[in-house]
Amino acid sequence: MILRISLLVLLNGNNGMVKIFVVDNGGQWTHREWRTLRDLDVETSIVPNTTKLQDLLDAKIDGLVLSGGAPRIGRDGTLGNCAEYLEKATFPILGICAGHQFMGRFFGGDVKPSKIPEFGKVQLILLCSDDPLFEKVPKKSIVWESHNDEVTKLPKNFLLLAGSENCKIQAIHHKKKPFYGLQFHPEVEHTEYGEQIFKNFVQLCEQ
Amino acid sequence: MFNADTFIEQTTKKLASDIRGKALIAFSGGVDSTVCAALVHKAIGNRLIAVHVDTGYMRKNESNHVKKMMEDLRLNFLFIDASNEYYSALKGIEDPEKKRKIIGEKFIRVFEKTAIEEHIDYLVQGTIAPDWIESGGELRDTIKSHHNVGGLPKDMKLKLVEPLHDLYKDEVRKIARALKLNVSERQPFPGPGLAIRIIGEATPERTMIVREACNIVETEIECAVQKGLMELPWQYFAVLLPVKTVGVHGDQRVYGYTIAIRAVQSVDAMTCNYSYIPHEVLDVISTKITNTLKEKVNRVVYDITNKPPGTVEWE
Repeated sequence: MILRISLLVLLNGNNGMVKIFVVDNGGQWTHREWRTLRDLDVETSIVPNTTKLQDLLDAKIDGLVLSGGAPRIGRDGTLGNCAEYLEKATFPILGICAGHQFMGRFFGGDVKPSKIPEFGKVQLILLCSDDPLFEKVPKKSIVWESHNDEVTKLPKNFLLLAGSENCKIQAIHHKKKPFYGLQFHPEVEHTEYGEQIFKNFVQLCEQ
Repeated sequence: MFNADTFIEQTTKKLASDIRGKALIAFSGGVDSTVCAALVHKAIGNRLIAVHVDTGYMRKNESNHVKKMMEDLRLNFLFIDASNEYYSALKGIEDPEKKRKIIGEKFIRVFEKTAIEEHIDYLVQGTIAPDWIESGGELRDTIKSHHNVGGLPKDMKLKLVEPLHDLYKDEVRKIARALKLNVSERQPFPGPGLAIRIIGEATPERTMIVREACNIVETEIECAVQKGLMELPWQYFAVLLPVKTVGVHGDQRVYGYTIAIRAVQSVDAMTCNYSYIPHEVLDVISTKITNTLKEKVNRVVYDITNKPPGTVEWE
């Protein structure tokens, strides 16, 4: 799969400006994250979550997306080498769904099975109006979800950026590092401002 | 951004250098396999043989339609009617994953037979991203085994060629438009066909019922779209539920199956919302289905589930 994808990167003639890799945690929408980045003219590739941090550094990436996946972060602690990236990386990281939950747990928050899991259409409410990840995203918008677990206690040193009726912690931002976690899925077509959120993340990686 | 012309140019070049000798394409007549056939045909010409298998679970008039398409594309083609074989292989099978796997394996066995007779080494498939994503493997959960991925037998000897492996349907449609193929806007139809639109055992009798119901749903929705009553859904069809309910026909009790209407809007099949079909259109569909299928079907329901949590097809 990786070989074929790198061929497509060549086919699509990326100019090498921004390089963001997608770490595959086994999500249904990992490839959609890759596609959204590619459509934004980002040089991108899907890599397994067993990839060593050094290999990512050698590839000179500007940012990383941690995909969602079937692993139940609320029950099980591991997600390949994601812990190493979160511990040592200085580049921006965007954790999505399971990637977000893992980030929450890694920095000391709690992750538990959701009392009311969300599948499909949900209204997202922004709690913080000036975060660069949500630039040009209105206070209320439609996002799509698909999760059984959620972050139930905000990790230390994190800001809460958004919530929904049944899941209070939908978006988080590390106070000192360019790390973001999103419970919802900005990569799917049905999330109203998903592409805008990705554009904002790409801009953060460009800086 | 995805560029169809660049993709066509680069892929044709690659296929021409990768495929030595003859190749067989699994040709269903849908957008993916037709685009794939056109690309490979561009690359290797008549060394490509298109094989269409009539599984017995095809839509109404599908065979004629597919034959015409293969002729229009000037493909070397074989049309194989294996419907009886499929019906007997699926006899008594109710589990959706088992159905999909049996169908997937049968396809390959038919192709292998042809490959031996025609001295072919390569199998070309119109597999696209959602097919292998949903089929799962390693870290990824299996949502459903697509016949062309999760249904492939492990001992397959043919070499697989899948030029559309990393594309989604909207991108394949762009290529189809660039190649001026009529099929470009055709709605998706799953490889296992009507067998997965029958919940439970896919008997020939139930197939006949769901085929007719699908035809009514398609015809009436297309008619409503033409009249400007609604937007054309991404996919629209009928599902037969083996749930019998009581009805009354001409003062007599009837006890028949239920048909569910399914219509969704999507771009890439990875997320979908159910279509807003006006009540007047649902009304016409309901009356036509029950009046045409008489004692077989006496109840029609409309599926209002998005994906997620549902999937487009029920199995």
